[in-house]
Amino acid sequence: MTVTTLNGARLTPDQVRAMSFQPARFGRRGLDEEQVRAFCAHVEHELALLLNERAALQEEVERLRKRVLSGPSGAAPAAGMRPEDAHVQAVNVLAKAQQTADQYVADAQEYSRELAEDARRRRDEIIAETRTRCALMLDEAHAEASRAAAAVPASPGSLDAAERQDLQAELTYLRTFSDVYRTHLRSYLEALVRNVDEWERSEKNSLASVRAELPRVP
Amino acid sequence: MDARRLKESFEHVAMRGHEVALFFYSDLFLRAPEVRDLFPVSMSAQRDRLLHALGTIVSDVDNLDSLVPFLRGLGRDHRKFGVVTEYYDTVGASLLATLAYFSGSNWTDELEADWKAAYALAAQVMIEAAKEDEDLHPPWWDATVTSHERRTFDTAVFRVALSQRLEYAPGQSVAVESADCPRTWRFYSMANAPREDGTLDFHVRMVDGGMLSSVLARRAGPGSRLRLGPPVGSLTLDTSSRRDILMVAGSTGLAPLKAMVEQVSEMADPPRVHLFFGARSVEGLYDLPSLEKMAAQYGWLTVTHAVSGEPEDPRYAGERGMIPDVVSRHGSWREHDAYICGSAAMVEATAGRLGVLGVPRDQIHVEDFGWSS
Repeated sequence: MTVTTLNGARLTPDQVRAMSFQPARFGRRGLDEEQVRAFCAHVEHELALLLNERAALQEEVERLRKRVLSGPSGAAPAAGMRPEDAHVQAVNVLAKAQQTADQYVADAQEYSRELAEDARRRRDEIIAETRTRCALMLDEAHAEASRAAAAVPASPGSLDAAERQDLQAELTYLRTFSDVYRTHLRSYLEALVRNVDEWERSEKNSLASVRAELPRVP
Repeated sequence: MDARRLKESFEHVAMRGHEVALFFYSDLFLRAPEVRDLFPVSMSAQRDRLLHALGTIVSDVDNLDSLVPFLRGLGRDHRKFGVVTEYYDTVGASLLATLAYFSGSNWTDELEADWKAAYALAAQVMIEAAKEDEDLHPPWWDATVTSHERRTFDTAVFRVALSQRLEYAPGQSVAVESADCPRTWRFYSMANAPREDGTLDFHVRMVDGGMLSSVLARRAGPGSRLRLGPPVGSLTLDTSSRRDILMVAGSTGLAPLKAMVEQVSEMADPPRVHLFFGARSVEGLYDLPSLEKMAAQYGWLTVTHAVSGEPEDPRYAGERGMIPDVVSRHGSWREHDAYICGSAAMVEATAGRLGVLGVPRDQIHVEDFGWSS
């Protein structure tokens, strides 16, 4: 059996059609002649189709090549895009991207401005509140200490009893004052620390949620 | 070159506003992608600057006496951005493409020739000014923070050492860029007269949402790297005048005035200086100890401080009220040279009040940042 495509020659539909197979010698097992014929017919048809398609594509390539070579002012601008238009389109795409970036930066700046304003306001509030609380604490400690001093009993049997009593009262006053003030201050500072902790926590939470909302920028 | 035709053409195009600048920069970045790195991520502020500069150039295109100094300033100013001569051609091509695009059917060969000629002229003046400037100073000065002091939670005073000496007049400012916030330049005034060792002091108050001011006021510390542009500004002492001096500072507007006080202290026969320093809160008077020390040291210097808000500390012994009111309570100032620096609103209010009090306009000195790009 010979194959005609050897030595570089290409197989054509005609060759497929003209191809004849000798029957197998008697006593040997052969192929079903009908089946072989049918398959060859199919191959012939397929080959013809492919060759036609190839020719059409070749033509199309030629046509396009001619158009490209004849330049943007060429005779066939219908479906194609001129280089100037492509440039303007690219400029517009880039402009859009730039606007998106501008928007992200503006949003981030606005957010940081809000945070800073908020922090400033809360700081002022905390300082003002602390001032008021401290004044109150001082007043209360004074009052408490005065009461305690007034309650000091006169110690009998002494020559300078009055002086002694004064000193005693002063001592009681100071001791009570410092006790009361220290207690108040401690509880206030603890409350303040809790307040700051809470603030920090809520800010972290809100930051996390904002990050999650922001679209990803590559 | 037909000036009227250029103006009409620009007027027509400029109606599209930001769109024009957006197109121009996008076109430029497509032609020369490496130019993109010379700009910050957000281009919004940049578009304003471009339109402002183009508007100024076109409106003065037939008035070379004011156009040339403006262009020379632009050319010098662009050195610090790392703009090299090669980019001028690309920028010109993008500018023409932008004008052509927005002119539509109005774009003619004559118009194109006009714009080409105008741009070539502008570029030539800018390039020449930049070249001449190369012999005088570097495109920028590298600076390192040597000390940084947070005076209040949002105000800092810091000192920098420079790689190369920077000559300036007290009262001038420089554009500042931080390695932590690249491609964003903001003007800050030197707060000291030139020193032997060349170090400079700056006063920075954090602007809410301001990227560079936040970095400088809060994140910077010893070792932080900055870049400084060339000195600019006309708020400088008129040393030819024999009049006494009134200085009015709002918040960190104190910086240039403090530099001028130092300058006066070096004069053989110093004039009398009355410095008013105002802030909203007592805490905002962030540099008071230093000013009071100077006032104690120099007989010719009087410092008055004032707080416009409710002073938190009832023991606050300074003046209260808005700074123009405080200043006018202390005299009429007609025989004084006045130097004012602070927020735009504060400067305008104070200069206006001094005018009402009868201080001649040419004796009132304020900074005009209008030219800066």
